[in-house]
Parts: sequence; structure tokens; C-alpha cells
Amino acid sequence: MADLVSYLQFVLAPQVVNGLALGMAVVLVALGLTIIFGLLDVINMSHGEFYAVGAFIALALGWLGLSFWLLLFLVPLLMIPFGVLTERLLIRRVYDGPDRHVTTLLLTFGLSLIIEELLSIVFGPNTQRPATPLRGAVELAGVYMPVYRLFLIGIGVVVILAVAWIVYRTRLGAMVRAAAYDRDMAGSLGVPVSLVYSGTFAFGLMLAGLAGVLLAPIYSVFPTMGRDFILIAFTVVIVGGMGSIWGAVVAGLALTQVQALAALVISPVWTDPIVFGVMVLCLMFRPQGLFGRLGHA
Amino acid sequence: MPERPARSFPGRPVADRLSLSMRASHLLVVLLVVAGLALAALGSALGDTFYLRLATEALIYAGLALSVDILLGYTGLLSLGQALYFGIGAYVSALTLMAVPSFWLALLAASGATLVAALIGGVIANRVRGVYFALITFGLAQVVAKVVYNTRELGASDGMIGVPVVEVPLGPFHVSTGSAPGFLLVALALLVLLYAVSAYLLDTPFGRVLIALKANERRVAFLGYSTWRARMAAYVLAALVAGLSGALYPMLRGFVSPELLYFQVSGNAVITVVVGGVGTLVGPIYGAILLTVLKSVIGSWTEHQLIVIGVLFMASVLFLPQGLIGLLRPRLARWLGRAEPPPAKAAEAEARP
Repeated sequence: MADLVSYLQFVLAPQVVNGLALGMAVVLVALGLTIIFGLLDVINMSHGEFYAVGAFIALALGWLGLSFWLLLFLVPLLMIPFGVLTERLLIRRVYDGPDRHVTTLLLTFGLSLIIEELLSIVFGPNTQRPATPLRGAVELAGVYMPVYRLFLIGIGVVVILAVAWIVYRTRLGAMVRAAAYDRDMAGSLGVPVSLVYSGTFAFGLMLAGLAGVLLAPIYSVFPTMGRDFILIAFTVVIVGGMGSIWGAVVAGLALTQVQALAALVISPVWTDPIVFGVMVLCLMFRPQGLFGRLGHA
Repeated sequence: MPERPARSFPGRPVADRLSLSMRASHLLVVLLVVAGLALAALGSALGDTFYLRLATEALIYAGLALSVDILLGYTGLLSLGQALYFGIGAYVSALTLMAVPSFWLALLAASGATLVAALIGGVIANRVRGVYFALITFGLAQVVAKVVYNTRELGASDGMIGVPVVEVPLGPFHVSTGSAPGFLLVALALLVLLYAVSAYLLDTPFGRVLIALKANERRVAFLGYSTWRARMAAYVLAALVAGLSGALYPMLRGFVSPELLYFQVSGNAVITVVVGGVGTLVGPIYGAILLTVLKSVIGSWTEHQLIVIGVLFMASVLFLPQGLIGLLRPRLARWLGRAEPPPAKAAEAEARP
């Protein structure tokens, strides 16, 4: 009995908390992806690379002496021009063409290659690690938890609530949902559809950039860092339902817990196959995802 | 006078626009064979091995790109994980060669393994369309790559080295996989064979069903065709093409590594197809050659070749949806079409008593 308690306390609990921190990270990346997918119907293959861009901007501005707390607000704002330009110059060009799913996917894939190379030209291919803004650990029920991970969990909750509030409770969010449901009808009712599209894409990238700032101190910064998150982020989007905010949150947190526990109970080697198995089962039996589409539910 | 059978009967296709484009593709493949023979002759005369091996690698990756094109160009399904079958072909071929050094046995084992894998993968991937298909193929390859990466019996992250050089018995001749010009010709022959079989199959009514699927899947089902079976057949065909191309890889390089299954390989194949020309079958082959040349030329100046390739790729998506071959082939097809009466007139001529 004592063994079980100490197992729960010293092995399982830290793993769950770590999984929760990772889950918040995944949710932040997946939120942007799912909003872009839900409204524009675009699989943004370069989303992971924009996450890396956010991390690198934070790194560079950190060298200039800007504080982490300022960057938390500044970097997402700096992502807006990237989002608007990408949507206006690239995605819009092929949006009404044939096979736009495939074309936009290919286009963002090409973009991801270019961004990755540009980052490695500018910053070099090596891994860099910004200093953790919150050092130390606190003791919770006899287990030491790094403060920064707890902070990450807290800020994740705040961001999720803010995004859900914007999408489901504001006029802006109503426009986005209307445009996702029926673009032409929304347009004829006075929703500035073109602006909504650019804005939504930029908003997705803002979230990616924010994830970059937040995760850089934990997972380090390197040009190909975006790749590590992309399979799990796509899985979260599919399982949660494309465009669904709550779907992304639930699926993101659940899947990372599955990962964390599988790593503990089975072996870290099998976490990816298990996550993928969930995605396959979901596509087979509930292709619309747990929560259905943005604007449709 | 007994009525003649309609000329659209299987095996005797009408010379319509599609067959003319195919014939233009065939002509470009003949050109490739001539160029390959010339290169092999030149290379062996100069005693070169580096460029011959590079050309062989281009042909092997051309096979992988061909496989992506069968799916993307004919069924409209984008596979982001075709490296899965390429890698399976390569690993099985390497394992077979290290146990029994026989070329044909290696090819047979590789195609058998690819067939089994494709049947399983196809059942999973063909439940979905569009972006979901792309993501599921991406995930499948990613997962198998991870498993291979962590399996000690398959060399884990290091892969397997020491694949022996074998003789390739071709009837009365013998070619060693160690001989650069000889193996270039073997790779060329296999590629042309894969091209010919794919082109033949895709020009039959089966191929037309696939093209119809791409245009309007629901209507194809209403016309009484099984869309699932057609898509599955295309998927397995594409996988076999990838697997057989992959089977040559360890013979060329003497090793296999999990990188062969990575997204970079799949992504490269997609780039090759788009730059070369989607749905042309010959486009991916020329695309692979072009990209290999580009990579080695740009690679001698800078290690950031991907930026050039990325820009070229995006430019193709935006401005050249038919790829480079799309610029060339319609002209060739028109020229070929002039050689015989246009189909409408031919039909008219037949209709006359």
C-alpha cells in the first residue's frame, strides 16, 4: 500500500504534471492550426515553422535585452504581418482554384522549407536555449515541480479561455464563425470576409508565435523545432474536430496524457504509434472529430 | 459489311487527347533511355563512377516520384508518406541480400513485403479523402519510421551497413551492382519497366475510372464502378512502384537507414512531382533528374539548397500547375496529333459505308 502511494506521488504525479505542461504546449500550437483549418479549410503545413519563427524572434529580442514578459505580448503582435502577407500573397492566389486543399497544403509545405532554411541561415543550425525566466521549483505534496512548468500550465489556461471567449462570445468571433459556416452568406450580410480571412490566419500565427515564446525555455530553439510538434498537433486537430476550440483543448490534453502515461507504463518508444492509433480510430469511426466543425456546432 | 467493334475497346484506345498526351510521354521516356545509354557509355569510357552513381540515385528517386504521381495525378490523392513503401522496399531488399545474395530474390521479397504493407496501409488510408488522406499517410510513414528507428534488429538509428555487391543475372548477361555504368542501366531498365506497366494500366478503362474519380467521385459510383476498389488498386500499384525503386537503393549505396522513411524523402518526392508535372508520369522522372542536378550544382556553392528548391517548388504550384513537362508535352501531343486524323474525323470516316 505504501508502495502504491509513493508510486502515485513520486512517479505518476510528476509525469501527469509534465504531461499537462506538454499538453498546454500542444494545445497552443494546435489551437492556431485548428482555427485556420476550421475557417479557411487550409492545412497549414508551415504552422510548426511559424512556431519556430516566434521562438527565434523571442531569442533575438532577448539578446537585445528585452524582458521575457514584454516578449510575451510583443512576439504575437510581430507575427501579424507574417500572417497577413502569407494569406494575401500565397493562399488567396490558389484559394478558388481546383484542388485547393492539395494546393494550399503544397504551398504551405514549400513555405515551411523556405522558413526553415532562412532560420538556419540567419541563426545557424545549432540549438540555443534562452534562460528560463522563472527559476526554481516548488514543493507540492512532497514532489518538486519546476515553477516554469506550473506557470506554463496557468498561462495555457488563460490563453485557452481568452481564445474561446473571442471565438464564441464576441462579435469578431461571430463573424469568423459565420464566415466558416457560409462564406457568401456572411459576405452578403456585411461581414468583411476578406479581412476576416487574413485576420484569422494572422490570429492562428499569433498563437503559434506565443507558443514559440513560451516553449523556447523548455524545449530549446533550433531551425527544425517546428517538426517535433506537427504530428501531434495534426492529430489533435483531427481528433478534436477541425476548427473546434474545445475539441483541440480536450484532445490536446487527453492525447498528451496518453503519451505521458504510455511512456511510463509501456515505453517512450511506443508513444507515437499509440497517438497515431488514436488518430486512425478517430478517422475510421468519427471523421468529424469529437466536437465537430467550427461554425457548424 | 459486318459492323466493326467500337475502337474504344480495351487494348485499342482511341487516339483522343489523353492517349496523345500519353504517347508524348512515351516519346520523352524514349529520349530518357537514349540519354541514359549515352551517359553510361560516356561514363564507362571516362572511368567515372561518381556521376554515374548520382544519375542512378536520381533514377531510383524518380521511381518514388512516379509512385506519388500515380496517386496525385490519377486519383487526386496526395500522399505525404510514400517514403514508407520506398523504405520498406529498401530494408527488405537489404535484409534479403545480406541473407541470400540474389538480385531477383531481393526484388521479389521487396515487392511481396510492399504488397502486404500496401494492403494494410490502403485499408486504413482509403477510408478518407483530401487533406485527411495526406495526414494519415504522413502519420503512417512517421510511425513506421519511429518503430524502425527504435528496433535494434533493424540497426535502429544507425541503419544497416554492409549490403553485399551482387550479380544481376539478365538472361545471358551478368551485371554487377558494383559496376557503376552497369547498375545505372539496371536502374534505368527497372524504371522504364515500372513506367511502362503504370502507363499501360492507367491507359486502360481502369485508368479512366481513376481519372473520373478525380473529377467526380460520386458520379463514378452512380455509374456502377466500385470507387473503393479502384482507389485501392491505384494505392497498391503506387506502393509497389515505390517499393521496387526502394529495393535498388541498398544495392547502390550498400546501406539502409531510417532516414529513408522520413518525411524529407516523401516531401522530396512530392516536390519532384509538382516541379516535373503532376499526372504526366514522365514529369516526375525528369523532375527527379532536374532536382538531382540542381542539388549537386547549388550544393557546390551553398549548403542551403533547400531554399532554391523551395522557391522553385512554390513557383511551380503558383504559376506552373502542370509542371515543367506541362510546358513541353502539349506541344509534343499536338505535333503527334497532326500525324493522324483527329478522332472526330476518324470516327466519321468509320461511320461512312
